[in-house]
This record gives sequence, C-alpha cells and structure tokens, in this order.
Amino acid sequence: MSLVAAPLLAAPFPAAGAGVPLATAPGAVGFFEDLLPFLLNGFGLGAIFAFIALGYTMVYGIIKLINFAHGEFFMFGAYVGYFCLRDLELERVALPGPLPIVLDFLVALTAAAFAAGLLAVLTERLAYRPVRKAGRIAALLTAVGVSLLLQNVAMRLWGAQARAFPDPKAWSRVADLPEVARDDWHRDVAFHTDAGAEILEPRVEVAAGTRVDPALREALAARGVDHVYRTVTLDRDALQAFVLLALLLWAPLLWWLVKRTRMGKAMRAVSEDPDAARLMGIPLDRVVAATFFLGAFVAGVGGVAYIATYGKVFPLVGFLPGLKAFVAAVIGGIGSIPGAILGGLILGVTEMVLPFLLQRLAGWEEAFAWKDAIAFAFLILVLVVRPTGLFGRATREKV
Amino acid sequence: MGGGAPLLAIALGPEGYWWANLLVLVSVYSLLGLSLNLINGYGRMFSLGHHGFWALGAYGAGWLTVALAGTLPGPLVFVLSCLFAMGVAAAGGLVIGLPCLRLRGDYLAIATLGFGEIVRIAIQNSPRELLGGAEGLTVPRVLMEVGPETRAAYRLLFVGLGLVLVVLVAAAIRNYVRSARGRAMLATAQDEVAAGLLGIDPTRSKVAAFLMGSTLAGLAGAVYAHYQGNITPLEFGFMEMVKIFLIVVLGGLGSISGCVLAAFVLLFVEQWLGRLPDSVGWVKEWWQVEYALVLVLLMIFRPRGLLGPRELTDVWRAWRGRRAAAPGRGGGAP
Repeated sequence: MSLVAAPLLAAPFPAAGAGVPLATAPGAVGFFEDLLPFLLNGFGLGAIFAFIALGYTMVYGIIKLINFAHGEFFMFGAYVGYFCLRDLELERVALPGPLPIVLDFLVALTAAAFAAGLLAVLTERLAYRPVRKAGRIAALLTAVGVSLLLQNVAMRLWGAQARAFPDPKAWSRVADLPEVARDDWHRDVAFHTDAGAEILEPRVEVAAGTRVDPALREALAARGVDHVYRTVTLDRDALQAFVLLALLLWAPLLWWLVKRTRMGKAMRAVSEDPDAARLMGIPLDRVVAATFFLGAFVAGVGGVAYIATYGKVFPLVGFLPGLKAFVAAVIGGIGSIPGAILGGLILGVTEMVLPFLLQRLAGWEEAFAWKDAIAFAFLILVLVVRPTGLFGRATREKV
Repeated sequence: MGGGAPLLAIALGPEGYWWANLLVLVSVYSLLGLSLNLINGYGRMFSLGHHGFWALGAYGAGWLTVALAGTLPGPLVFVLSCLFAMGVAAAGGLVIGLPCLRLRGDYLAIATLGFGEIVRIAIQNSPRELLGGAEGLTVPRVLMEVGPETRAAYRLLFVGLGLVLVVLVAAAIRNYVRSARGRAMLATAQDEVAAGLLGIDPTRSKVAAFLMGSTLAGLAGAVYAHYQGNITPLEFGFMEMVKIFLIVVLGGLGSISGCVLAAFVLLFVEQWLGRLPDSVGWVKEWWQVEYALVLVLLMIFRPRGLLGPRELTDVWRAWRGRRAAAPGRGGGAP
C-alpha cells in the first residue's frame, strides 16, 4: 500500500501547449516522424476552427453580418462544459470501461451547445435585431460591443484568471476495487474544519499492482475516501481524434439541414434576397434566429473541444480562436459551409506545420512565436490570389 | 517655464490634471478617428487595420527618438520623429494597400485586420534592444525635462499641441475633400465604375485616401508615444481599432466635428467610469460591463452617429433656424 504525499495541484493534462516544438533531433532522419504530431495537432486544431467558422459563415451568409460575438458564444459554451465536467460527476455511474468518460463528455457537449445556442438567440433578439435595418457597419459595431460586453460579464462572474479544465475521470468506489489494483488510482482528500472551510490534503495514491486488502480499504475509509479515480484518462490525441470524428459527423448533418429541410430552404432564400423571401411568406425573424442558434450550437461544441484539448478556460478564451475561425471562414469563402470546413482545416494545419517547416528547413528558430502572424500573412496571400476565398462566389459587376 | 511649473501643477490640481490627460487622449483619438474617416468614411473602404498604422507610427517615432536623443536639440528630434513616424506608417499603408485595395468590403476588412495583428505580433517578438519587445519601449522626453513638478506642465504642453494638430488636420481634410482630388475620391467611393467612366482613376484615388489615412495615423502614433513616454505592443490591440472605428461611426461617417465630439464622449465615459471611487460599490466593480453596455446601447439607438452624418455647424444652424422659424413651419434637421 502507499499513501503518497504529492504536490497539491497535479496538472490535469500534460502541459503541452499548442506549438511547443518537440525535441528536435538533428538531421533529417526523423523528419517525418517529427512532422507527424504537428500535422495531427494541426488537423485537431483545424477541426475546432472549422466548428467555429461554421457559425460565422452561416450567420454571414444570411444577414451579411460579421458576428464578432461568435467567439464569446464559444467561450460561454466552454464555461458551461467546464461546469458540467466539474460538478456533474457522471463518472460515478456504474458503467464499464471508458463509457463513463464518454457519457460525461457527451452531456457536457450537449449542455454547452444548447447554452451557447440560447445565448446567441437572446443576443440576436436584444442587440442585433434592432440594428438590422441600420446598415452593416452599425450591425458590425454592435456585434463588437456585444463581444466586449460578454467578455466583461464573464470576467465579473467567473473571474479573469484561467481555470484548469477538469479532467473527466473514471471513478470507482473503494469497495469495488479488485483485489489487485490493475490501474493507478488516486484521490485528492478534502477535510472540513469546524469552521466549514475545506482543506485539501495531499493526494492518496494506489499504484497499479498494489494489493487492495481489507486493511487498505479500512485505512482509506478512515481518511474519508470512499471513491478513487483512475489517473489515466483521455489523452490529447484521443480528444483530437474525437473532435475530428465529431466534425465528420456534424458536417454532413449541417449540409443536410441547409440543403434538404424546409428551414434550410428558407435560410437559403433569405440569404439570396431577404426582402423577396419575406414577400414569399418566409418568417425572416424566425429564420435568422434559427441560424444564430445553429451556428452557436456548433460553436459550443467547438468550445468544449478547444478547452478540453488545450487545458484551460478563461473569459478571453474565445477571442483569438474566434478571430482565427473567421479568418478560416474567409479563406474558405465566407457564406459557404464546405468552405468553412476546408478553411478551418487548412488554417489549422498551416498554423502548426508551416512554423515547423520554417524552423526545420529554413532554420528560423523563433518561427513558433510568430505562428499567429504566419497565419494572418497566409490569409492575406490567399485573398490576394483569390479575392473571395476558395469557395466564394465572385459577384459580377453590373453597370 | 522652469520656475512656473510647480505653480502650474498647483493651479491645475488633481481634477485639472485628469482633464488634461483626457484632452490629450481625445486629441490623439480624434486624429486617429479623422484619419480612419478618410478611409472608411469618405473612401468607403472597410479597413480594420488602423491600429497597425498607429503602432507603426508610435514605434517609428520611439525608435528614432531613442536613436537621436541627446545629439540634436529636443524640439528638432520631436519634429523629425513625427515626420519619420508618418513615413513609416505611409510605407506600411503602401505595402498593405497596393495588393489589398482591390479586395471588396469585408474581405478588405479582414485582410487589413490581419495586417494590424501582424504588426503587433512583430513588435512583440522584436529584439528587446531594437523596439523593446513585449516589455515595451521607453521614449526619452525630448521636449522638456519631466519630473514630479513638471508633469502637469508636460500634460498642458501636449493639450496645446494636440489641439493645434487636430485643428490643422481637420482643416486639411476639409479642404482636401472639397478639392478636385477629394471630389474624385468621393465619386470613386460612390460608384467605382461610374467614376472610372468619368475619367477618374479609381485605384489612384483609393490608394491616395488609404495612404493619407495611414500617414495621419502615424502622426497620432508619434504624439501618443511622446506623450506616454513608454509604449507596449498590447496598447495597440484590436480593441483600440474598435474604439477608433466606434469614434468614426458615432461621429457620423464622414463628419469631421462629429468625429472629435465622439472621441470626447467615448473617452470621457471610459475614463470617468474607470476612476469612480470604490465607495460606489457594484457600479465601480462592474464598470467595464457598463462601458460595453453603453457602447451597445449607443449603436442600437444612434446607429448613424451621435448627430448623424452632419457637422456641428449644421446642427447649430438647424437649431437656430428652428428657433427662428414660426411654429408649424417645420423644416430644420430631419
């Protein structure tokens, strides 16, 4: 048995920030082996960009508004997902294998998506609808104002500091542990003082291979530990694969929604000509609200995926991914759904792989510090070559 | 003014000191707003990269001042650094403007936004001995010695300087817009194809408007750098761009006096909310939320600007006209 004192704050994830260069082996022998993780990270990041870009592109397609608050819907979804994963403890449900973790994630994703969607509908009703007739620049600035407002509200409500994303863990009751522990199990033990304050004690750890005899069970019970959790959970690669998979499932669904359903048809009609659509009896307000809901719904999913992959959530978390996702939507041709997905993936891969290539091949050591600048330079280049993005429709000049 | 400076500080008082700071900021943001107005208001080009030109100007002036301080007389260094800042910003405008001005609407907006971010990231990653990197650049005070006693005098000096520059720039823009070239620019903004058919070179007038706008933003950057004495890349973020753009829109796109008025209103609200005493409780705690709310409400209720696209003089005339007119005659401003 081992009751090991460990540092209080165990990092929930290996602190692998985006774009921290791996140990670079000299020579080109391991070049592709080194490139592979960047490529995979790029696809994972790109999938998240694509999720956010979908909302941008749908809203833009319909009311020609660059919805700068979209990143804040993403942030809101991320916070809701955070609270779900932290407080629900669905992992306690007795299910075999990794199912509790998956269940946990699904609930968090759903809650985040619906929360973000509702926030978007509320925002549209209160802030965007009144300025819809006032011209595009007024609408754009209203969106920026709403973005600032939501950021500051989040800062007041949940604090400006970053919170580590809670790792969904497979819990087990101490009584249910097998005779010989097959995995590592651990638990932060909390004691309550008379004043009610909570004191975190050093961690209890049960290493794999330990004999879990009645004496150990009693010792743990005496310390107030009835549940322990596995130290091994979903890792980054699994998460990124999960996000990519979700994108692959979502994209055709969205495509179907827009191309095959009544609401989708109404959306396309409004996008073509709002006034004519209205004359044909299409309820404009409802269609716009539905678009906002759908776009933010997807962004909420992206929000949980982003902070689960990158490990922390804070009020400004939506700003840069939001901006990048917009860039992705523009690269793909704004207003086009396949364009948003392709643009997201291209941007994600570019952002990860291009600095790597510049570092390895051109010998530019600081390339990773410049990755955001590289992404924007890539954007400008794409626009100079294709002024309406990859999938954008070129509008004919009428004289 | 050495002997008079302490007296000046006393005469100014903390209240006056705050107002002086506000007025300097208002003049810097007015310059930024006026220059963006040339691009977004008169030129109808949707640029979101003005913070980049501002940063280029500020850092250009800062770099030259560091290099020249002590070798030449202070005021000369100041003027040279202002000119250099304008040159750097104009070069930036040329680099981004030439390839991008053929983009339309939102595509131009996002390309220029990318430019602004690239400038910020480049400054952030610059070597420390060149531009200070992420920690910021200290700009030597070349106009006068600044100590605890002369701080007030320094602020007053910049209040005067800022006001003079705003008046000069406003007059220059007003005259330019009324000139043949200016009218060509307005015509291009209205309809590029039609303007081309009239013999106007649309590319030329667009590039001219863009260049003038970026040059003046560089001037605003130089004034700002000399006033602050220490600049960091974070001060030139996208939120500043939003602030400048708000000033232009709240001023009424294309209105010169409206722009200055909007700069004053916006900065006053921000600075006033920011220095509320702690005793007001939640009003103080939530001030940033309140500021954002004011912006959203202003956009919802005054989407065409505080006064609409009119000059203060128009409003004044309309108001006087309505008073003079007999009731029932109507007329006046819409």
